[in-house]
Amino acid sequence: MVFAHGFGCDQNMWRFVAPAFEDRYRTVLFDHIGAGGSDLSAYDAGKYASLDGYADDVVELCRALDVRGGIFIGHSVSAMIGVLASKKAPELFASLVLVCPSPRYLDDDGYVGGFSFQQIEELLDFLDTNHMGWSQTMAPAIMGNADRPELGDELINSFCRTDPDIAKRFARTTFLADNRADLAGVTARCLVLQSSEDVIAPREVGEYVHHHLPNSAFVLLDATGHCPNLSAPDVTIAAIEGFLREAGLE
Amino acid sequence: MNEATPDPRAQDADDLEDLFENAPCGYASALPNGRISKVNRTLATWLGHTNEHLVGRRFLDLLNIAGKIYYETHFAPLLRMQGFFNEVALDLVRVDGTTLPVLVNAVVRRDEESEIRFIRITVFNASDRRRYEREMLEARRSAERATAALQDLNATLETRVADRVRALEQAWRLSPDLLAIADGQGTFLAVNAAWKVLLGWEVSDLVGQSFVGFTHPDDLEGTQAALGRIMTAPMVAPYEYRLKHADGTYRRFSWTGVFEGGQIYATGRNTTVEHEQAAALSRAEEALRQSQKLEAVGQLTGGVAHDFNNLLTIIRSSVDFLRRPDLPEERRARYMDAVSDTVDRAAKLTSQLLAFARRQALKPEVFDVGDRLRRIADMLNTVTGARIHVVTEISDMPCFVKADVSQFETALVNMAVNARDAMDGAGTLTLRLDDTGNLPPIRGHAAASGQFASISLTDTGAGIVPEQIDRIFEPFFTTKEVGKGTGLGLSQVFGFAKQSGGDVEVQSALGQGTTFTLYLPMIAAEASAQPAPVGDGEDFPIGDGQCVLVVEDNVEVGRFATQILEDIGYRTTWASNAEEALEKLGVDGSGFDAVFVDVVMPGMGGIELAKILQLRMPDLPLLLTSGYSHVLAQDGLDGLQLVHKPYSADQLGRMLGKLVPRRP
Repeated sequence: MVFAHGFGCDQNMWRFVAPAFEDRYRTVLFDHIGAGGSDLSAYDAGKYASLDGYADDVVELCRALDVRGGIFIGHSVSAMIGVLASKKAPELFASLVLVCPSPRYLDDDGYVGGFSFQQIEELLDFLDTNHMGWSQTMAPAIMGNADRPELGDELINSFCRTDPDIAKRFARTTFLADNRADLAGVTARCLVLQSSEDVIAPREVGEYVHHHLPNSAFVLLDATGHCPNLSAPDVTIAAIEGFLREAGLE
Repeated sequence: MNEATPDPRAQDADDLEDLFENAPCGYASALPNGRISKVNRTLATWLGHTNEHLVGRRFLDLLNIAGKIYYETHFAPLLRMQGFFNEVALDLVRVDGTTLPVLVNAVVRRDEESEIRFIRITVFNASDRRRYEREMLEARRSAERATAALQDLNATLETRVADRVRALEQAWRLSPDLLAIADGQGTFLAVNAAWKVLLGWEVSDLVGQSFVGFTHPDDLEGTQAALGRIMTAPMVAPYEYRLKHADGTYRRFSWTGVFEGGQIYATGRNTTVEHEQAAALSRAEEALRQSQKLEAVGQLTGGVAHDFNNLLTIIRSSVDFLRRPDLPEERRARYMDAVSDTVDRAAKLTSQLLAFARRQALKPEVFDVGDRLRRIADMLNTVTGARIHVVTEISDMPCFVKADVSQFETALVNMAVNARDAMDGAGTLTLRLDDTGNLPPIRGHAAASGQFASISLTDTGAGIVPEQIDRIFEPFFTTKEVGKGTGLGLSQVFGFAKQSGGDVEVQSALGQGTTFTLYLPMIAAEASAQPAPVGDGEDFPIGDGQCVLVVEDNVEVGRFATQILEDIGYRTTWASNAEEALEKLGVDGSGFDAVFVDVVMPGMGGIELAKILQLRMPDLPLLLTSGYSHVLAQDGLDGLQLVHKPYSADQLGRMLGKLVPRRP
C-alpha cells in the first residue's frame, strides 16, 4: 500500500491514516522531490515540468520495492500522479484510491475545474510576490536555523517542509495541468473520495473523475476541506477499508 | 455600598472586553469546522465588515484565491498536524475588494478530552512589512537583472569587438587605397593588399623595410620632412610623393596620416590617374581656347572686312582717277592725299588688331602725358564731331610715363569713339589727367603701390548696363550693329594698358554717363631723356647707288619694295627666302651695302637670318621689316633695326639713310 502526498505537504499528511493499515499491509510512504527529506539536488526542472516526471518517480520507486498488484493511495495532485503511473506500469497497482482528485483545475468549455484562468494567474503571481512570507513558513531550514534544524522543526513548523523554488514550480505544474484524457483506459479499480466542502477540488470535479474512469467507486465523505485525511481520518480510513473489502482485499 | 463605587469584577470584564475589541491586532475564534464564532472590532474594522457579518463564515472565505489554495494545501494541514502555525503571510480581502497584507498565527485549543474547543486566530497588519519585502524582492530582482545585463553586455561586447575587428579587417583588405602602419622611423609594420594591386609589391617585400627604399629620390627630402611634421601635429593637408612600382616606374600617391601610440597610420590615394586627367583637361582647354580663337577670327573677318572694304573703295577710286592723264594737278594732289590718309587709317585698324592680339612690338618711349594729351585733344575734336564739346582738365605738372605713343593715342581715340557713340553724337567729353598715386583694386585685382598717372574720359552718354560692364573689354564684344564696330576698340585699350604695366577702369551710371580711366605707371622726369624724334616733313637722304639685298617671300611686296628702293636711289637684289639670301651674300657679303629682311618667312625666319649675319658679317647693315612679330613682341628688337609695315617710302628712306654709309 503506497501513500503519495499532495502539493503543499509531505508524507506527514498520512500520519493519521497510514498506521491503520500497517498491520495488514506493507505500507510505503515517500516524499515527492522538493518536499520533506527528499534529495533536492535531484531536481530537474525539465523532467518535473509535467506530472509525468512525478509519475515516473512513483513507477521507479515501486519497481525498486517490487510492488505488484498493490494499492495506491494519492491525495490531491498525487491522485492524478497515481493515475499516470498506473497507465505507465499497470502491473504495479490493482487499486487506486484518489483522495480529492482533480484532472484539471481550470474551468474549460463545459468543464468545471473550480478556478478561472485569472484566479490561477493570481495564484502564480502571488507565489512570486509573496515568496518570502511563505518560504519562511514552509522552509524553516532557511530561517537561520540551518545549524540547528531540530530548533526550526520544533519552533516553527515541524511538518510539511518544502523547498520554496521547487514548490513554486510544482504549483505551476499542478495548477496548469490537464490530465482529463488520462482517466480513460485506467485498468485498476478506483475509489474517488470527495470532501463535502473543498475549495480546491469541488464536488463536480470528483464526479467528473468518477464518470470518466472505466471502473470506479465514488464516496462523498462527511468531511470539510481539502484534507479529509487530516480533518477526518476515521471517515477516510473507513471509506478505504470499505472499498478494499468490496474488492476482496480486506 | 456607595452606588458610585464600580464593581471591581465588572470593571475587569470591561477592561478585558476593551482589550479584546480594540487591541492593535485582529482576533478571531473558529469552531472545529473552521467557521468563525467570534471576531474583534479591530479585524472587522480592517476588513470593513460588521462583526455579525463575519461570524459563521470560514476564515478561508476572508482570503484571496492564492491564500485560499495555500491555506487548504499548506496551513490547514499544518494546523491539524502540529496544532498551530505562526506568522503565515496572507492577504485578506476587504469588503471593497482591496487586499490587506497580514501575518496570521493560529493555535488549536483543546479540552481535557483532547477534543478541539476552538481555533484562536491572531492577525497582524503587515502592510509595511509586505511593502518592505516587495522592495527587497524588487531590489534582488534588479540586482539579478543587472547581473544578467552585465553578463549580456560582456557577451555582446565580445561579439561587438569581434564584429568591429572583422569590419576593420574587411576595410583593410578591401581598401582601394594604400594603407600602412609604420614605426616612428618609417619602417613598415603592416601594409594592405592594395600595395600589390597598385605597386606590385608583396606584403613581405615591404614589412620590415623603410619607406625610403620605395620613395622617388627627388621626393625623399620632402617626404622625410613630412614624416617629421606628422610626429608633432596631425596632417591637415594631404602630402603627395612618388612611390616606386615593382616594375621600376614611379606612381604618385597623395598621403594622409596620423602618429599615435608610437606608430604612424597612413593612407595613400593613387593620384597618377588624376595627374593624367588634369593634363588631358589642360590639353582640352587649350584646344578649346584655340577653337575660340578661330571662331574669333571668323567674327573678326566680318567686322574688319567692312572697314577694309570702305578703305579699299577709297583707294581704288582714287587710283582710278589718278590714272587719268588729263587730271588737274590740284585734284591729283587731293586723290593722292586721300590714298595716303586711307592707308594710315587701314594701318591703324591693323595695329588695333595687333594690340588686341598683344603681339605687336611696342616701342615704349618716355613722354609727358599732359603734353601729348594737349596735342591730341584737337584730333579728338575731329573724331567726335562738332556737336560734342571736348573739355580738357590737364594740370601743368609734368607727368612722364613710358609707353608706346602711337598705341597710347590709339587708346585715347578708341575711348573717344566709344564715348561719341554712347552720346549718340551730342554731349560733353571731359578729358582729365591726374597724378593718382597708387593703382586702385580693379576687377578683383589687388591694388598696386607706386605712382600712376590716371587719364580719364568722361562722357554724358547713356551709360553701360551692369550686365555688360564686365564684358566690354572682351575682344569682339560690341553693342553696335553688325558692320558698325569691330568690338576691338576697348579691347585695344585694355591690351595696351596691361602691356604697359597699368590698367583700365570703367565706372558707369545708366542715363548719366561713363568714365573710362586709364592708369599708366609714372617714371621720374630725369629718366625721360628722349631721342630727338625723326620729324615728318624733313628731307631724307637719297641713296647713291648702294646695293641693298631685299629678302622677301611675298612676290607683290618684294616687287614693291625693290621699286621703292630704286626710286629713292638704291640698287637692289631680291632673294625670295633666307637660304637664297645667304647664298647670294656669300662668305663676306661683298657687293652688298645693306640687307633689308622681312621677319616672317617660311623656312628660316628673318630674325634667325639677321642673327647669322650679325655673327658672320657684323659690319653689314641690317634693316628688318614686319607687320607683326610674335618673336619681336616677346623678345624685343635686341639691337636690330625695324621698320613697321605698312611703311612709306619716306619712312624706309630715313631708316636706310641712317644705316647705310654713303659711298666714299
